[in-house]
Amino acid sequence: MSEDRRTEGQSDLSPWDMASGAFIAWRQGDAGAVDELVAAMTPVLWHVVRAYGLDREAAEDVVQATWLGFVRLHRTIEDPQAVASWLITSARRGAAAHSRTARRATPVQDETLHAALPDAESAEALAVLDDEASRLWGAVASVDERCRKLLRVVAFMDRPDYQSLSQELDMPVGSIGPTRARCLAKVRTALSRGGER
Amino acid sequence: MTAESDAALLVELRDMWTTYDPPPPDLVATMIAVVAAADLDDEWEMLVLVRDSADEPAAQVRGLGTSRILYFTAAEGWSLDAELDEGQVRGQLLDFDGDLRSVEVEVETTDGQSWTTDLDEVGFFAIAAEPTGSIRFTVRYRRKAVSSRWVEL
Repeated sequence: MSEDRRTEGQSDLSPWDMASGAFIAWRQGDAGAVDELVAAMTPVLWHVVRAYGLDREAAEDVVQATWLGFVRLHRTIEDPQAVASWLITSARRGAAAHSRTARRATPVQDETLHAALPDAESAEALAVLDDEASRLWGAVASVDERCRKLLRVVAFMDRPDYQSLSQELDMPVGSIGPTRARCLAKVRTALSRGGER
Repeated sequence: MTAESDAALLVELRDMWTTYDPPPPDLVATMIAVVAAADLDDEWEMLVLVRDSADEPAAQVRGLGTSRILYFTAAEGWSLDAELDEGQVRGQLLDFDGDLRSVEVEVETTDGQSWTTDLDEVGFFAIAAEPTGSIRFTVRYRRKAVSSRWVEL
């Protein structure tokens, strides 16, 4: 899994640089620049939201609510460099709120649910088809849910905002850095158990 | 393990999630449409510069040889008249169909200076400012902001 797996045509510029550049241009009156901002940040927001265990449909709703909130509140973003962090924080809060609400919903028996679900391959099943990805995916699957969530959010953030992460993941601010290191170590251990790496 | 190897593993994880749990193919297009449909065009309507005394020196009928007179229109039908002279930016909002008291006018320069003021009851404003470089006007009312392009002074 390396550079060759990246989406074709992806710019060298990080989504964060693209986002702040587009945001500044838009604020200076370039109406089309907001499309660049949306294109750069939507995939990042998707992964951040999915880290909270939302299904694809709910994840799409939360990403949409994030953009609508952005349209409403963009003037409150004082530092254009912070637009990506602002969006990510907003998406995380939306995802966390959604998953809290979803937990309050009535649980359904797996057997009942199975019949109602589309017969599609899960992301996990697809990953298993690829040997290398299978080892990495297996290693990630073997760590606890909190680790998985933290790693996915952190992997898609340039500069993690530990203050707000701590509230949503219910961890003290000071323990996020060490927890991240421990979670990565767990993945590494699982990988080495699963084969050479 | 070093911070470097942690970062490398995070990159691998990011690639894995990107590859095996990609956003729906039309998500970006949908979100662009969502943002465009959220009244954004209205909020960022442009004030179009239709008259600039720098382009038509013969039109300086007020006899103020030193002043720069700019006239903008907005698609909604109202317009903004502005005059820059001797450390003052003065102007008037014309044909505005709304509460003039709720309107705020902002004058910005590309070097980051900005001045904001309210209008009086007939739509006049005056700001003590001597902007240099390029200037832009923004008119805010309710939740809308209408900006002009940058005008070189």
